[in-house]
Amino acid sequence: MHKELEHSFVELLEKHQNIIHKVCRLYTYDYDAHNDLFQEITIQLWKAYPKFRGDAKFSTWMYRVGLNTAITLYRKSKRRISTQDFNDVQFKISAEEYDDTEEQQLKLLYNAVRQLNDIEKALVFLYLEDKNYREISETMGISEVNARVKMNRVKTKLRTILNP
Amino acid sequence: MDELELLKKDWKKEGNSFPKLSYNEIYKMILKKSSSIVKWIFIISILEFVFWVAISFTLKYTGFSDDIANVESNTTFIVMSIISYLILAYFFYRFYMNYRTINTTDNATTLMENILKTRRTVKQYVGFNLIAIVVSVGVLLPYFINQDPEAQTIIENATANGELFKFYAGIIIVTLLMLAAVIVILLLFYWLIYGLLLKRLNKNYRELKKLEV
Repeated sequence: MHKELEHSFVELLEKHQNIIHKVCRLYTYDYDAHNDLFQEITIQLWKAYPKFRGDAKFSTWMYRVGLNTAITLYRKSKRRISTQDFNDVQFKISAEEYDDTEEQQLKLLYNAVRQLNDIEKALVFLYLEDKNYREISETMGISEVNARVKMNRVKTKLRTILNP
Repeated sequence: MDELELLKKDWKKEGNSFPKLSYNEIYKMILKKSSSIVKWIFIISILEFVFWVAISFTLKYTGFSDDIANVESNTTFIVMSIISYLILAYFFYRFYMNYRTINTTDNATTLMENILKTRRTVKQYVGFNLIAIVVSVGVLLPYFINQDPEAQTIIENATANGELFKFYAGIIIVTLLMLAAVIVILLLFYWLIYGLLLKRLNKNYRELKKLEV
């Protein structure tokens, strides 16, 4: 029974692992930290898996546990020395795909997102993932109206950072 | 194009550039131990419970054992220790139940509230112990002074010299200073541990609650 559970969990996670990578992408800035957070989210998902009843979609459930781990449970390790910039190493997108200005703009955008606080990042994440306000309010535990207001503020804040 | 739309477009594209972890790599991860703050709060809290129980046992079985044996037959003392054990059991039960309700599948606000609730229970337990120390010193000190033959001689001498007030004032001041020092050290210690551990959680919780009525 336990083996079956393990197998079904790991298979599902392998399929949907991009969700965790995306959470890590927003909340960590170097390779080691990315892996650390990825691992912690995986452990939290596994711990909670026996309670996952399938009445929510597996991916929806992953968003929730992933964000909760990133903004609530995860302890940033201070020991780390390597601070190689993740952007430059891991996800360098080939330059031909973009014209220079667009690439430059994206760099500025990602830098702006970095300056947001944990909660604002969570909102940006859910926005980028095309979640509607009902889902956002349910994930964060705030009212829909509040989610809307906060989201607008985050967008304004981002624009202000970009065009001071 | 709006900047945020550009970001969204790129974000979706970026999904393909993440490293793909294999089945075995993920499987290895689920066997590892968590290092979340909840785990740390749990460990520290258990240590706190153990610490206070250990202190009460140490006081009982070392140093003053003779004096304590006398005191133990005292009804007030028996009632006090029964009450303190009941309270310890109550706190432990509440702490454990709080801990069990912590669930990562809750929404972010509820999860943070549940963690803070567990922390609050432990805080109350520490508060209870600090008050218990003050009360026991307040009850036991006069008792020891009354029972101790040496103290009685000093009191008789002090009365003869008309320095009884000075004697009591001295004892009270020294006791209060010692109690204050112990309490300050302990509070500082807790403030440091939990302050560091929960700094981020508290900040995020306040941020989430900002607009809620």
